[in-house]
Amino acid sequence: MLQAVIAKEVRDILSSAKFLSAFSVCAFLIVVAFYAGASNYLSSVERYEAARAENLRRFEGVTQWFNVQQNRIMMPPEPLAALVSGVSNDVGRLVDVEPRGELAAYGSRFNEEPVFAVFRFLDLEFIFLVVLSLFAILLCYDGVSGEKEGGTLRLALANQIPRSTFILGKLIGAGGTLTVALLGAMAIGVTLLPIMGVPMSGDDWARLLLIVVCGILYFGVFLTLSLLVSSITHRSANSFLILLVIWIVVVSILPRASVLLAGRAVDVPSVDQTSYEKAAFASSLWADFRDELAGYQGTKTDDIEAMMHAFNAYMDSLSQARDQKMSDYAGRINENRYNRQVVQQQVAFGLARLSPAASLSLATASLAGTSLAMKDRFRDDANRYQKAFASFLKEKTGMDMGGRVIVMLSDDAQPEEEIDASEIPVFQPSRRELAGSIGAAAIDIGLLAMFNLLFFAASFVAFGRYDAR
Amino acid sequence: MEVHDIPTPKAMLVAENLCKRYEDDLLALDQVSFTVEVGSVFAVLGANGAGKTTTINLFLNLIEPTSGEARINGIVCHKDPLEAKKHVSFVSENVMLYPNFTAIQNLDFFARLGGKSEYKRDDYRNVLRRVGLADDAHNKRLKGFSKGMRQKCGIAIAILKDAPALLLDEPTSGLDPKAGHDFSKLVRALRDEGKAILMSTHDIFRAKEIADTIAIMDNGRIVMMEKASSLQGQDLEDIYMKHIAGHKTAAA
Amino acid sequence: MFGSLIKKELQSIIFSPKFPATFAVCSILLLLSVYIGVNEYRQMNKQHQTALQLAEERMQQQTSWTALRDRTYRPTDPLQIFVSGLNYDIGRWSAIDPEQGVQLRNSPYSDDPIFAVFRFIDFVFVVQVVFSLFAILFTYDAVNGERESGTLRLVFANSVSRVQYVVAKVAGMWLGLIIPLLVPVLLSILLVLLFGVQFSEADWIRLLALMGLSLVYVTFFIVLGVLLSSVTRRSSSSFLVALVVWIGFVLIIPRAGVMTAGQIVDVPGLAEIESRRDAFAKDKWAAYMEDMETFYAASRGSDNAPAEPRSDDEMWADMMRQDSLRRTVQIEIDRFEEQLKEDWRNRKLVLQRLGFSLSRFSPASALQLGAMNLAGSDIELKARFEEAMREYRRQFLDFIEKRQAESGDVGGVMIEMNSETGLKITASRNNSGLELTGKPTFSAPVIRTGEVVTKASVDFAILLFGSLLALAAAFVAVLRYDVR
Repeated sequence: MLQAVIAKEVRDILSSAKFLSAFSVCAFLIVVAFYAGASNYLSSVERYEAARAENLRRFEGVTQWFNVQQNRIMMPPEPLAALVSGVSNDVGRLVDVEPRGELAAYGSRFNEEPVFAVFRFLDLEFIFLVVLSLFAILLCYDGVSGEKEGGTLRLALANQIPRSTFILGKLIGAGGTLTVALLGAMAIGVTLLPIMGVPMSGDDWARLLLIVVCGILYFGVFLTLSLLVSSITHRSANSFLILLVIWIVVVSILPRASVLLAGRAVDVPSVDQTSYEKAAFASSLWADFRDELAGYQGTKTDDIEAMMHAFNAYMDSLSQARDQKMSDYAGRINENRYNRQVVQQQVAFGLARLSPAASLSLATASLAGTSLAMKDRFRDDANRYQKAFASFLKEKTGMDMGGRVIVMLSDDAQPEEEIDASEIPVFQPSRRELAGSIGAAAIDIGLLAMFNLLFFAASFVAFGRYDAR
Repeated sequence: MEVHDIPTPKAMLVAENLCKRYEDDLLALDQVSFTVEVGSVFAVLGANGAGKTTTINLFLNLIEPTSGEARINGIVCHKDPLEAKKHVSFVSENVMLYPNFTAIQNLDFFARLGGKSEYKRDDYRNVLRRVGLADDAHNKRLKGFSKGMRQKCGIAIAILKDAPALLLDEPTSGLDPKAGHDFSKLVRALRDEGKAILMSTHDIFRAKEIADTIAIMDNGRIVMMEKASSLQGQDLEDIYMKHIAGHKTAAA
Repeated sequence: MFGSLIKKELQSIIFSPKFPATFAVCSILLLLSVYIGVNEYRQMNKQHQTALQLAEERMQQQTSWTALRDRTYRPTDPLQIFVSGLNYDIGRWSAIDPEQGVQLRNSPYSDDPIFAVFRFIDFVFVVQVVFSLFAILFTYDAVNGERESGTLRLVFANSVSRVQYVVAKVAGMWLGLIIPLLVPVLLSILLVLLFGVQFSEADWIRLLALMGLSLVYVTFFIVLGVLLSSVTRRSSSSFLVALVVWIGFVLIIPRAGVMTAGQIVDVPGLAEIESRRDAFAKDKWAAYMEDMETFYAASRGSDNAPAEPRSDDEMWADMMRQDSLRRTVQIEIDRFEEQLKEDWRNRKLVLQRLGFSLSRFSPASALQLGAMNLAGSDIELKARFEEAMREYRRQFLDFIEKRQAESGDVGGVMIEMNSETGLKITASRNNSGLELTGKPTFSAPVIRTGEVVTKASVDFAILLFGSLLALAAAFVAVLRYDVR
């Protein structure tokens, strides 16, 4: 009997005009999202390569390693970031690395190309968020109430079928059919990636699969919710209206409002404040440095080079001390801000997670590597690179470079040979661990699964008490 | 008038002191009792809201009685609904079915729900022919069917379940005379096969034509219950109006 | 007759069970969005004040004219309460520095990316998404629903012309939807005033224009719903079509338009531009260093032996020369950078024009772009501010130069080596704070009301034209509609 209900449900959906039209639109948009993501990625790669080449070009004709005072590093584009943009277009992608000093990322895509910030991107996550949920609502808003209005519910229940079997059959039949259909559409989209030449590692594929799973879970939330609402209303028109209101609130309003209200409720020292404090401290350090420098008394000797070396060594020790103090101070300030931000995130996202849409966004962003952690990751990678860059320059010049006053003589006799810019260490962003990403997304995936169970259990109960007359 | 030494025919549908009071204190049914025997048609006449559909809903356990019992084949409906429903078929007033399915597909689904999974396509075709649905409509989607055609499908579903009891809720409302006539023929045939049939209607003509026992329901009560044979030659409409009117004057 | 038709339409909306729910939702969401907008506005104002204060303090602490730097900040605009636009995507401040060009960096989203995760909800968003959806919800079965319930035949069984019917329907529905929606709109403006936000006269004009734009936007969807219901037989079909059309217009086309343009027009990234500038700068500085070396070689003598110790005045003169040379190089680099950025801007402008033209096929785009123009948070925001900041930078650098020359301070550190005195280090003469009176102040670019309203009128026209087109089509459709 369960089988008969499932079969009926499957046939009913597949033969309805509603399904055909809604699914075609849905499938089309999913495929378009994959295509758009792939194209976006490929053109980002082009721009990245061009920028890298241009970056090397500015070292042309340089003959002294002393003159290499800075290297520009860029966050390389990633295929999954084109599918789930997250905050990747909002955070700075460039860092001008000097061997010493605090690094600051700049040049976010939306700041530099605000034309894309106006409407933003049509990425896979957006399609999931909006289209999958509407699709579920459209197809299931009249699951029970529609059968009541049509009279088939009364007819069916006039037989010896338990209500639990009926509603379970509906869920499996409808849910199964629609899920399979959606997976089909996604499979087409996914195959576009290698066809268009987007390089995906095994790790990337695993993440993409999980992103698809999140999408299906999210779809399931709205499916079970629609089933629930249709088992507590008696007119399909009411059911749809209720679901539409819920949809608007859950997808558009709740995540935004909770971050804006809860997020602002937590006090986080502003960037202005922290940069001012750091700048003030730096100024006082520099003033001290200058005074100490002015009091230097070197030995008088005929050997200019020896004098120079002695002086440079003295400056070096002063600078090192200064750097240490600065980085300690800055470290404390940054840590304080970071801790406050963590609290802010917990409060804001905790409230936002009342909405499954928020969970979808957060989970997919964690998996794709475009969550808030992206900014910290880039900063840590940049710091790591700075150390490598500093030790490379020390090797080449024999001195600790960066932010220094250097005294040197030029030797006209020496032949001027260009440096080989390809020797400069290349920036390698760290690899994200799959397990780590899954861990970060776990709570949201769990929430999505929980919503599914909750809504189905509730519709189970509601249908048990449903007035079928 | 029971005669004790003749074996009584088997009571298939029994309502015993059925009462239904809703939350808003509306008394929909007040001490309704009747028996529908095997191989007979029991017609219940009454205005809209008299309680006819409520009675049927109680047999189908779509609602529960406040007091009293409805029994199908001896099984108490509200105590063991799933078991009780094995013994009854149902045709609703406005048979809608699944619009995207063909007649045969609809029949197949409901047959399975009714516990019959061994029917073949030909069986469905035969039943549809029996109820008078044209051959070329068998594989058409229900979306385009007229009321009469849909109603035939409803009866076909009931026939396929082959249950001993049959509940008909306003089956002839909106049918043209030919369809109504076909319907009467079918019901009589089913009765002759031994089904116990409970039919609610406000078609006095049809009731007189088919029923073995006629009851009139008004404001949740049975105000008249007579064998059709004993009403021969009387104007049923007159009786009906009198009982309804009489009740009203009594109330006033 | 006509009046009763209109009245019937109005009543059918207001007494529909859908009405209280949708009215409540629209009101709550609109007020919520405005409340959030006011919160954000006050927050940004506070931040702006603090930033200016800190920048001022920083300047007070400077002791050397050559080391003096400033920062300029983007102030807020009260209309951003209603239209957040690009306010959070564009950098908030720029360094005013002789060694680098003006560039708005650090957008609020890049500083605090937590707010970029889900972005903003503002007045325009609620109108764009919620109001349009509900407009469609009420009108998708305007005609075919009447046909299904049989009332259409009943109406036309009287001497009602088709034209009368359509006009009454659209007018009645429009009144029934717009008038109730005006209530939360007015309440939200009241809310803003209650929070003590100041609006200038120009601001009021812009706000009114924004309301007008929103009105035409909702009108479009009302008429669209009527149109769709008069070209389909069944309300279930028109409902589906309306939903798909809504998704297309509101969610898909705006994004797709700009993304398509992005694929067609090639624009280099910031990294490439910066590196090109750096390459040029490197060459110029290399030349500068060579010049310095030859100069010092000459003063040092011929065979690397330390020469006569130079007098203090001679040394200061040397430093002045160094400084002026440095400034020349800087100006050249600046000019090159401006040219580079100008070319880059032009390329981006091509992308922008194409992208927005494509996306303007969607009324939601027109609303968004028009609203952003009115609120001053449009795409020209960055260019406008950078231009004004550039002007300030010119004034500021002139001011520094003048003061520096007056004080004779050359800042920095001067290092001298010779065999007699050994290595001597001279630091700047001035250790006290600087006299900052007369420093130029940054004034934000003025939004000329006439200009923005004219700019927004393009989008207004698009929406109006769309509505009229849909209305005409609905007319034709009803004239030919099979009433049975």
